Amino acid sequence: MSATNGNAAPVILILEDEAMILLEMSFAIEDHGAEAIQAPSVRSALEAIEKARPDAAILDVNLGRNTTCEAVATRLGELNVPFVLHSGDLVRQGELIARIGAEVIPKPSSSDHVASRAIALARETRET
Amino acid sequence: MTDEPHETTPPTGSQASMVFDDSPNRFRASNVEQKFDGASGVLFEQAMAQTRMAIVLADPAQEDMPIVFVNRAFTELTGYSEDEVVGKNCRFLQGEKSDPAVVARIRQALESEDVVVVELLNYRRDGTPFWNALHLGPIYSTEGKLLYYFGSQWDVSDVRAARAEEQHAKMMARELSHRMKNMFAVIGGLITVTGRTKNIREEAAEINDRIRALGRAFETTLDEASRGSVELEPAVKAVLTPYDPDGNRIRFEGESLRVDPNVISTVGLAMHELATNAIKHGALREQTGEITLKWVAQADDGLEFVWRESGGPTIEKPECGVGSGLGIIDNLLKTVGGSLEHDWQPGGFVARISFPHHGRAS
Repeated sequence: MSATNGNAAPVILILEDEAMILLEMSFAIEDHGAEAIQAPSVRSALEAIEKARPDAAILDVNLGRNTTCEAVATRLGELNVPFVLHSGDLVRQGELIARIGAEVIPKPSSSDHVASRAIALARETRET
Repeated sequence: MTDEPHETTPPTGSQASMVFDDSPNRFRASNVEQKFDGASGVLFEQAMAQTRMAIVLADPAQEDMPIVFVNRAFTELTGYSEDEVVGKNCRFLQGEKSDPAVVARIRQALESEDVVVVELLNYRRDGTPFWNALHLGPIYSTEGKLLYYFGSQWDVSDVRAARAEEQHAKMMARELSHRMKNMFAVIGGLITVTGRTKNIREEAAEINDRIRALGRAFETTLDEASRGSVELEPAVKAVLTPYDPDGNRIRFEGESLRVDPNVISTVGLAMHELATNAIKHGALREQTGEITLKWVAQADDGLEFVWRESGGPTIEKPECGVGSGLGIIDNLLKTVGGSLEHDWQPGGFVARISFPHHGRAS
């Protein structure tokens, strides 16, 4: 199932519309020896997923102009790809977050923490 | 039932409410079989007449359920005279923008003899709209026979407007909160990425910890920032919660106190440094220690915090003297005439922070 074999570095998809956070998160993923796939929009995230199934993902929830990560979360769910939600909009998006039902890390959090959670999920899923 | 002549003219102006409303009398005169007896009957009539709540009775036994009674408050609220409305169905109050879904709920309640409370946009005789909090339901005889439907109307336009304004303010606060957190996250990213390229990652991480503490403290102030002062305790707790995820290591003993918003940044940073110090050298270094944080408002607008650690590992004053973080806070407080005193007591670290002003008196 996995895009990578058991020993290769896990591939983590990052959906984040804020460039600086996307960059920081990518570095944090790479610092952990994993591979980061950067997606600044829902469309690019969906394209990346179809190209190669990631091992885990980090999803920003509110992507501006009434766009949310829900379509990406749904697709990842279909493919059994685990993910964490990284959001600074817990109050307004509470309903959506509850519906998606994934682990939530509130913004701002240390990128190292977010990265290690995503990589841990990738490893757990790989082992099962 | 409605063919009797009504001898009074409809009341006009605000003085009308001072005059006794004789509509119950006229209603009784035309409904001889429904007697209001005894003291309760008198009370009922007075209540109907004098209440500022508009009241309507409609007769479900007649075709199209016409109004058989309205009180003075109703004619004042709607601008219609009694003559104009008795004999008509209540729906003349509805208009272009009345919500059909709400009207359907009313109809359903009438069909099933239920009580319903709705808010509906209604129109006065002159066409001006008002928000009507309509309460309607069946009235039964002592034998359980359906006699009337009552409807009570209350103009809640002001309430609606206030609610909308509050809603808008809440929406703005949430948008602001989201943007602020995002901005803190961007700043954090900037610092991390810079630290990485300059190879000063540890320093960058330390700065980021401080910035995140500041963000948490400010987050609590957004909802009420427009009031000009903010509650101290939520800000203090927000800063310290990540260092005590189970909530059993840090005890808060402070009164409810509103402070100037600009006190929050210094307080937030100070609490963060004390917690960092406790993790490195004090009560939070191992699983056993506890901290009590007290704050007390002082005379002349002063504010004092006492941070007292206990039950932690036996501490020794760190070789390098005061942690650099506490040094920053001491300097910060001195610029505003405050101070940070600390003592590495054998039982635990104690710090005393004083602010000369927290915003009430100045």
